[in-house]
Amino acid sequence: MSKKAPAKKAAPKAKAVDFLLDVHTEPLPARFVPPALAQLKANAEKLLAGRIAHGEISVYGTLRHLVVAVSGVAAKGEDKTERFKGPKEQVWKTPDGAFTPAAEGFARKYGLSAAELKPQDGILYAEVHSKGESAAALLQALIPELLKSLQFPKFMTWEETGFKFGRPIRAIAALLGDKIIPVELAGVKSGRAIYGHPTYAKAPAQLKDPAKHRKVLRDGLVIAEPSERRAYLLKQLEAAAKSAGGRADLDDALIEETVDMAEHPTPVVGRLRPEHMDLPEALLKMVMKKQLKFFPVLDASGRLLPSFIGVRDGLSNGNALVREGYQRVLEARFNDAAFFFGRDGAATLESRLPQLERVTYQKQLGSVRAKATRVENIALDLTQGRGDFDPLVVAKAAKLVYADLVTDVVKEFPELQGAMGGTYARRDGLDEKIALAVEQFYFPVAAKSPVPATPEAALVSLAGKIDSLAGCFAAGLIPTGSADPYALRRQALGAVRIVLEKQLTLDLEAALATALEAQPVKTAEPAKLAAQLVDFVWGRATSHFEEMGFAVDEIRSVRAGALKDLLAAYKRLVAVRNVRRDPAFEPLAAAFKRASNILKQTKDAPEGAPDRAKLVEPAELALYDALVAAEGAANDRLVRGDYEGALKSLVEIKPRLDAFFDGVMVMVDDAELKRQRLAVLAKLVRAFKRVADLSEIQAAAS
Amino acid sequence: MKSFQEIIMTLQEFWSRENCAIVQPYDLEKGAGTFNPATFFGALTTRPIRAAYVEPSRRPADGRYGDNPNRLGKYFQFQVILKPAPAGITDLYQKSLRALGLNLKEHDLRWIEDDWESPTLGASGVGWEVWLDGMEVTQFTYFQQMGSMPLSPISVEITYGLERLAMFLQKKDNVYDLDYGGGMTYGDFHKPQEREFSRYSFETADVALLSRHFNEWEADGERLVASGDPLPAYDCVVRISHLFNTLEARGAISVTERAQYIGRVRGLARKVMQLYIEKNQPEAQHV
Repeated sequence: MSKKAPAKKAAPKAKAVDFLLDVHTEPLPARFVPPALAQLKANAEKLLAGRIAHGEISVYGTLRHLVVAVSGVAAKGEDKTERFKGPKEQVWKTPDGAFTPAAEGFARKYGLSAAELKPQDGILYAEVHSKGESAAALLQALIPELLKSLQFPKFMTWEETGFKFGRPIRAIAALLGDKIIPVELAGVKSGRAIYGHPTYAKAPAQLKDPAKHRKVLRDGLVIAEPSERRAYLLKQLEAAAKSAGGRADLDDALIEETVDMAEHPTPVVGRLRPEHMDLPEALLKMVMKKQLKFFPVLDASGRLLPSFIGVRDGLSNGNALVREGYQRVLEARFNDAAFFFGRDGAATLESRLPQLERVTYQKQLGSVRAKATRVENIALDLTQGRGDFDPLVVAKAAKLVYADLVTDVVKEFPELQGAMGGTYARRDGLDEKIALAVEQFYFPVAAKSPVPATPEAALVSLAGKIDSLAGCFAAGLIPTGSADPYALRRQALGAVRIVLEKQLTLDLEAALATALEAQPVKTAEPAKLAAQLVDFVWGRATSHFEEMGFAVDEIRSVRAGALKDLLAAYKRLVAVRNVRRDPAFEPLAAAFKRASNILKQTKDAPEGAPDRAKLVEPAELALYDALVAAEGAANDRLVRGDYEGALKSLVEIKPRLDAFFDGVMVMVDDAELKRQRLAVLAKLVRAFKRVADLSEIQAAAS
Repeated sequence: MKSFQEIIMTLQEFWSRENCAIVQPYDLEKGAGTFNPATFFGALTTRPIRAAYVEPSRRPADGRYGDNPNRLGKYFQFQVILKPAPAGITDLYQKSLRALGLNLKEHDLRWIEDDWESPTLGASGVGWEVWLDGMEVTQFTYFQQMGSMPLSPISVEITYGLERLAMFLQKKDNVYDLDYGGGMTYGDFHKPQEREFSRYSFETADVALLSRHFNEWEADGERLVASGDPLPAYDCVVRISHLFNTLEARGAISVTERAQYIGRVRGLARKVMQLYIEKNQPEAQHV
């Protein structure tokens, strides 16, 4: 984005000038700023569209400034003709052609005489022409509208007009060229005063030229452009981390927040006390990042170094004092944490299990202890009859996954659930595999974050998600619209990712149904609910596949029975996508669709295999033989899990199928022959459906 | 370097010069300065108010037997209540920090979103916690609702955590080491209190007696509401609120009971507020 005023270049007319609106507020919460700026841009575009010619609209801002700048605003708004629909001509005109009083009244409303009404297709219209207003008048009306249009996560009122905004508005600068556009909003009259950083700037600057706004703010120690502030912050963090002998842990969420928490970010490097380095790393990082917004410093291998970087809002004067303050606060928090951590050492995880009975998971779903038992059962069920999991590890871990909820550290810092469980399991001397499964129980914690590392950890984590999904569905807590208080979408996606990324062959559909039955809430129609739950999970799988780049029709084609073996469904999906590149594929899919439509339309759908002896036409015999051969080849490949090979084998019958449809009439009068021909098509459809239902495939619109 | 008492005196002088009445602490145990009638009733009506005061605040569950250098079961807030909320109040607050001897250019002052809610008062507000070099020293709140009613005009409440502020200014890691003034430390006065009151709150408080008192003061509050005396009835609200806090610290309240207790305090508080408005400002009744 150009930081120079584009006015001279972009302005199409001599009189076009730049517009600037700077809303100066008390400190907005960092999370309010990006959505407010995005809306400011979108809503400004909407409001100006068609009303007045203008150049580029740019927005920028900080926690104290929300700014819209519009280059090259025309001197006048666009002339406009508005049409208002009136009655039918025959209703408001007497037979002799005179207007009725009602018609005259309608015309008067728009400042016209009845004779000026314009007939069109038997209807009378009032046409109102208006000259474009001056840019100043137009903007004067639009500014309040624009500011009222902003939606904040939470609104407040603070002055007597009761205006609602994210935080109190303290000043409004509204300039068109060098002229103030007078508006009054929330008790504030607009002007040209621009407020710099509250700690450093003296009197506000008086802005004469909108194009100089960023520079004026910069002189007041405010980096107004978020992308610039971000780049500045990252550069500073890098240098600071280097001085501390490592690299900053550049947590995305913390970067985002920090960009909008300071108008002039300046790093301060501080040290951790050696005794605190014995605390669990997850705990140290959480306190630094979440509680104090400090960036941890890591060594080359990603391990925590005894340094942190705080980001202050201002210059580096007095950095030694600020460092001292930061360290003192951090030490106090760590002392607290160490106190809790020490206390937690008094009891093993195992010995805490009875306490879980007194912790309610959800009113209808009983205690956390009861949930732990259900999770254990689900997990053990999933290990039945297979050798790729150690059932002892699974059982033990499943028992312990919730035990850390009653430890002091997790009560104090709930976001450390899981991480502390793992730490305490190790402290209790449990097998590393068990500790890891407890630690990673809540994985994946975000859309792109890793799934549990070991098979046992994956299975226990999956069981937890299956139980949460089943429990909430049983209790009627089904997500609607954007409301998903139990984060079931995330849990379903987590389950999908675990199955796919850990390559687990298991029947998710059966596991969900069993989990539903195990819930303490009984439902009226369990089969219907189970189907609804399967649909819900499939919905998450669908969006996950879409994100991976699969087309919607490809995903639909593998829907049948997908959750009975999601990993296979994924392989079928890959097969469809790969075989789709074969030019024969889409025409084949069309022919397939024709075959399934014929079957769908007929009442006497055949059961059982066709009888070759009863087929007569060479084309149908050829198709039958090709189908038998292709099925044989496909079967060999399916047994090996080679869905792509199987599909390729089947696709080879395409010429035979084409010839069949070209030369053979299916719906003949001879009932037996018709039955046989339908049976051939049914065999074909069944063969393909083992990989995909090709009738879902849409031909590319090329 | 300012002693604890000099910090209080500086703030009193500062806000006195800003045309605030310096009122005195209210003589009942309470969890926060907001319970002082100057704020509670002050925020409720349409009459302007500008007041500041020190308020001892008791949080029985936060007691740590005097062992924790940062946590106290009883501490002091310096509270400012201004209605209508003046424009430029955040600047005025910064000025008060300068009055305490801080050169803000050498420190990091940040405003972190922190909305306030008091379930027992049915009150909520929007605002910040103010961080000085990472330490939370002040809560800053624009009241939005009280007794579940939207307020107008809006009051702004500034609550300085005096111990935190003093620890910051005196660079002390331990609250008990604060220079109180008069050659005394904060610990001289307060450590024995913390020890004994922690023991009281967690171990020895008489649950049966406190529960009975809760019921009795609640009933008396209802009686006083019925007889049209909101101010004495409000004392009952303050008393049962603190009784509830003590019972909770003592571990005598289960999760389900907790919601009921809060509901009872809020119920009485609401009646008191309605009565107060009826009596003092009948035209402002909006319930």
